[in-house]
Amino acid sequence: MMNRKRFFSATLTIASILTLAACGGANSSTSDSTGADGEEGKTLTFMFRGGEDEKKAYETAIAAYEAENPGVQVEIISTDADQYATKLQASIAGNDIPDVFYVGQGDVMAYVDNGILMDLTEAVENSDFDLDNVWKYGVDSYRYDGNNIGSGNIYGLPKDVGPFALGYNKTMFEEMGIPLPDIDVPYTWDEFVDVGLQLTADTDGDGEVDQWANGFNVAWSLQAFVWSNGADFLNEDNTKVTIDTPEFAEALQYFADLQNVHNLTPSIAQAQTLDTYQRWMNGEIGFFPVGPWDMSTYEGLDFEYDLIPWPAGSTGESASFVGSLGIAVSEGTEYKDEAVELAMYLSTSEEGQQQLVDAQIQIPNLIDMAEEWASDTESVPSNKKEFLDVVGVYGRGLPAATTYTSEWYDEFFINIQPVLDGDQTAADYLKSVQPKMQELLDASIMQHEQAAN
Amino acid sequence: MEVTDKKITDVNKNIKRKSQLYKDEQKAAIAFIIIPVIGFIVFSMIPFFISLYASFTDWNGIGQMNFIGLANYKSLFKDEYFWKTLYNTFYLMLGIPIGLMISFLLASALSRRIVGKTIFRVIYYIPVVSSLAAISILWQWAYNGDFGLVNQVLDIFGIQGPNWLQNVNTVKPAIIIMAVWKGVGYSMLLYLAAIQSVPRTFYEAAELDGANAFQRFRFITWPMVKPITFFLIVTNIIGGSQVFTEVNIMTPTGGPQYSSATVVWYLWRQAFNNWKMGYASAISVVLGLIIFIITALQFYMNRRSNYKLD
Repeated sequence: MMNRKRFFSATLTIASILTLAACGGANSSTSDSTGADGEEGKTLTFMFRGGEDEKKAYETAIAAYEAENPGVQVEIISTDADQYATKLQASIAGNDIPDVFYVGQGDVMAYVDNGILMDLTEAVENSDFDLDNVWKYGVDSYRYDGNNIGSGNIYGLPKDVGPFALGYNKTMFEEMGIPLPDIDVPYTWDEFVDVGLQLTADTDGDGEVDQWANGFNVAWSLQAFVWSNGADFLNEDNTKVTIDTPEFAEALQYFADLQNVHNLTPSIAQAQTLDTYQRWMNGEIGFFPVGPWDMSTYEGLDFEYDLIPWPAGSTGESASFVGSLGIAVSEGTEYKDEAVELAMYLSTSEEGQQQLVDAQIQIPNLIDMAEEWASDTESVPSNKKEFLDVVGVYGRGLPAATTYTSEWYDEFFINIQPVLDGDQTAADYLKSVQPKMQELLDASIMQHEQAAN
Repeated sequence: MEVTDKKITDVNKNIKRKSQLYKDEQKAAIAFIIIPVIGFIVFSMIPFFISLYASFTDWNGIGQMNFIGLANYKSLFKDEYFWKTLYNTFYLMLGIPIGLMISFLLASALSRRIVGKTIFRVIYYIPVVSSLAAISILWQWAYNGDFGLVNQVLDIFGIQGPNWLQNVNTVKPAIIIMAVWKGVGYSMLLYLAAIQSVPRTFYEAAELDGANAFQRFRFITWPMVKPITFFLIVTNIIGGSQVFTEVNIMTPTGGPQYSSATVVWYLWRQAFNNWKMGYASAISVVLGLIIFIITALQFYMNRRSNYKLD
């Protein structure tokens, strides 16, 4: 009887340990290996984030890469977008860094200073593809010389460049009998308000306005207005916060007035534009920002849309921001050559780019391919060239892309709601928030200097 | 006398010579206990001490730790967002008494013989076992200012609902409502067990003495469930000061003007967004101290009102 008791208690203990271990295992991220386990071959891990379309497109691209490079298996780790940063940092702390992974523009400095990213300059120069055929903005976003982004050695290759263009509801214009916007000449700010007033109307006669000119989210659209009015968030060498200029105040006030003075946006006072995004998809909004990643979603819209340059402020020229996400190789990877190959393949190979463009996730990284793609004016949006113009001509990086942390930049948007509600003037707000932002920027610069030692 | 003496010597013999069975059971007991204890040491104690050390450094999460003394703590006390988030966290704890009251009432109702008692218990308990993240997403949609369920229901009564999660004044009450809804089943079940364990003889005696329903509740039921109330308050305060998931999902940017950001959310931002792991560790140490002091106070206050049942 004693033996049986001991046997049972031992079994129970082992069973519970195994169950708990299995539960722990199941909680980790989904990771699939394409192809068989490479006992003879080499296995690279590639970590990224993205929706279903992106995942499928990358799986196809990687399958093509594996076909060209027998003996190399790639294990894909896909994560949710909002967990990506945490997961990557955790894997770095745990010394289990993936071989190839996404890196955000704003994180390059911190990662390079801590020796996480491999220097790709030599490999890129020795390879046989033409760096001039890749968007300069994309390549420069991952150059770092120890002090600033934009020059120096290459620590990552662009996964994509994301131009933030302005779209408009062509069907709405035609129905209201308003002349279509010019795809080459931007509206002035006054013209933009005038067109907006014509668009904002009650179309079904029930006494309530059900169609609006726009519904911009300040976090993503303010930059276009600020820059095209000649103002900026930072000075040339990224050391001073320059938001307390009259041009900046004018731009911010104009932005807030679109809602409060001219009533061109849906009147739910505190609605952030998650709601206006839905309204745009329903055809109730005239102007809305469009990025290349939206194209696949917008295919199902029941109105025709097209792209135009952003309205121009006092400089007379449009401005907008271009984002970018990079692909980097870890410094401690076992298979340096293969990992760099994979990174270059995902970033610049024609087959890989074609997959992604066909899935309507991004515009091609290769300039000649992009120009060919944009020459197709038959499919919607017809003015694809606008995306190329944003990347190549009038787009700029977001202010926090070239500073060590984005804390100073986030501070700007925390207390901005009273301005947007009309309870505070733009000038007052800017004057009060500039010192706080400057303090945070100074702290971030100090952090950078400490980390570089 | 003879019998008692014999019994005593027998008992003494048993105490002096520990039986093999006793030793075997000791070994089995230690074997079972050692695993969670090791788990606790490895996953809780050691990281706690590492975090404590990190709070005195300028660690950025991926580099090396450089000792900087009390600098983190000094900037913590000057940081207005730290105080704001601390205020938010304690504001959200207002939901604790509300939740306890509601769950106690529900438990009292369910402890009577009504039809469908078990079904009600299941219905109220399902939110407790549901994933917090999934519920947060659901409620985020329900609170939507234009077409969320909550405003649709209010519309039936002719009330124009605010944009709950975007309005500075309503975002914290919105989160409180959601948290109360989620936790009420758990407290209710505990209270149910406690209420049903009160011996009926007490009530009968009270009735004989002429106590009415309210007096019976106040002098019998409520004091008898005090241990449960104490337990719930302590655990809820500890849990409430660490609220993170709901805030991160429902108000990813910390709410309008940081009005729904909690301390743990703030320190997560500092650690992973701003590369300030050392500073975040300092915040977490301060938070841990606050929770410890509050809990110790509660235990002290509870000692003076102990109801012993024989």
